Amino acid sequence: MKMVQLKELAYARSGDKGDVCNVGIMAKTKNVYEFLLKSLTPEKIKAYYKGMVKGDVEIYPLPNIDSLQIVLRQSLGGGATCTLRFDQTGKSMGPVLLGMVVEADDALIDEAVNAAATIENGTY
Amino acid sequence: MKKVRIGSGSAFWGDLLEPAVEMAERGDVQYIGFDHLAELTMALLNRMKLKNPKMGYIPDIIPWMKKLLPITKPKQIKMITNAGGANPLQAALEVKNVVNDLGLAPMKIGVISGDDVLPYLDEIRRQGVKFTNMDTGEEDIDRVREDIVAANAYTGADEIIAELKNDADLIITGRVSDNALYVGPLMYEFGWDYTDAYVNQIAAAVTIGHIIECSACVTGGMSNMWRISERPWKIGFPILEVFENGDAIVTKTPNSGGIVNTWTVKEHLLYEVIDPHNYLMPDGIADFSTIKLEESGRNRVKVSNMSGKKRPDTLKLCIGYRDGYIGEGMVLFPAPDALEKARFSEKWLRERFKLLGVEFEELRIDYIGVNTLHGEAVEIEDKHYNEVGMRVAGKAKTRQAAEAVRREATHLWTQGPIGSSFGTPMNVRPVIRLWPTLVPRDAVRTKSQLMEVK
Repeated sequence: MKMVQLKELAYARSGDKGDVCNVGIMAKTKNVYEFLLKSLTPEKIKAYYKGMVKGDVEIYPLPNIDSLQIVLRQSLGGGATCTLRFDQTGKSMGPVLLGMVVEADDALIDEAVNAAATIENGTY
Repeated sequence: MKKVRIGSGSAFWGDLLEPAVEMAERGDVQYIGFDHLAELTMALLNRMKLKNPKMGYIPDIIPWMKKLLPITKPKQIKMITNAGGANPLQAALEVKNVVNDLGLAPMKIGVISGDDVLPYLDEIRRQGVKFTNMDTGEEDIDRVREDIVAANAYTGADEIIAELKNDADLIITGRVSDNALYVGPLMYEFGWDYTDAYVNQIAAAVTIGHIIECSACVTGGMSNMWRISERPWKIGFPILEVFENGDAIVTKTPNSGGIVNTWTVKEHLLYEVIDPHNYLMPDGIADFSTIKLEESGRNRVKVSNMSGKKRPDTLKLCIGYRDGYIGEGMVLFPAPDALEKARFSEKWLRERFKLLGVEFEELRIDYIGVNTLHGEAVEIEDKHYNEVGMRVAGKAKTRQAAEAVRREATHLWTQGPIGSSFGTPMNVRPVIRLWPTLVPRDAVRTKSQLMEVK
């Protein structure tokens, strides 16, 4: 087992709908998806963002695309038009989450790193 | 099997024009949809219209049409744009002049309006409808009624289909949902209607419309694939090749830059969605939990097995109301001691605001390069930084208080720590806060008309 940042295991993209920020987490492999489904909980995610997320956190699983939709309520300072955040539309919230550290099997981490090498080579 | 090719030509007011032109020239498309409206845009356009009744549409529509119509007309490519904003009729009249100037008549322009609910908002309320705030749960709009400046419903494809049946070459709409710009032509082409028979086909259209509606955001823009996107400075906009059963290929203009693969499609599928099992759009409810994605060639992704439910009885209504002012300032500090200088300046500012007795509803100070984006999620590290910026933003009831933020931040230029650097000060801006809610579909008086340019 090893401590690893989420960025090694998944991709993320975030956006806004009013004061709600959504973070799409795309696991780099099917096994990683199964792992993230178990290890990421609303409590852990809310704790990671500390004061940034004032409302509830919800997680919607999408096994068909090995992805999780993470919903952060009351996290954008009231929404893009009235927020004091520099990042008014929550674009950085996904990449910020990729800095979260989790404990995973060495073999799983290797699998994800290898998958990413193939994907980002553009040759898969 | 019949197939329809439809592309996305714009994702927001200010998007690139060249990729839309290239799509018209060599995308082999029958339709191009153009979205220009973000949540705040309708409030801005309403304000423009109040000042001048001949404004209130997206002014880009003029240069866009000048460039595009000469290409689309001979190829019979139909364009559907929501650039009409708060004044679709005026936009159509302006485009009519363009058509005449370019000698492109005859042409039929469908004009769709009626999404503006503000004129009869109170009438709807008198029928017992409550506009509960979907973000905060506040039950109705009583508290903010006096400050409401816009109320636009996100309308569906009904009127688009009607105007396509009228043989319109170009359709100009108000706050039609971006999604309907794509669902409309697909329903029209394949003869799908809102009965139970076509629920999954329309859900498929809602899903694939969502996949392409933000133009470059599915072709390598805003992507984890940014390193392998080809010639991203010459990005191609997305094109759908749609089949009768709702399955589709997501691709982009041939020989354009960018990238389309399963990852860019996943990224956009999840983008700005709350519950992916119930993606509510005016024309249908899509469930993203059945969709299958497979790469079927270079820059081609096949999407299939989409499903969903019938369209909801309500439409999203976006109410905008005046809610004070925001003032902002920014200063950058060089090493040595860049972080310490930023901390000093934060204290200086807070003391100044105290001395002046300025009251803010909210005040936020970030250190650029340290915690502007990561916020409370990170501990501030006391280490060497070549430079650290300080950004201050304050929200206040009065313009005067918001001005104090800007003014005091500029005083740091002469009274702050050594090396304090600054750019051009930012203007105070009035805040239009949004009140997202629902309105019964039947209460919204959408309408369309055909303008013939002879």
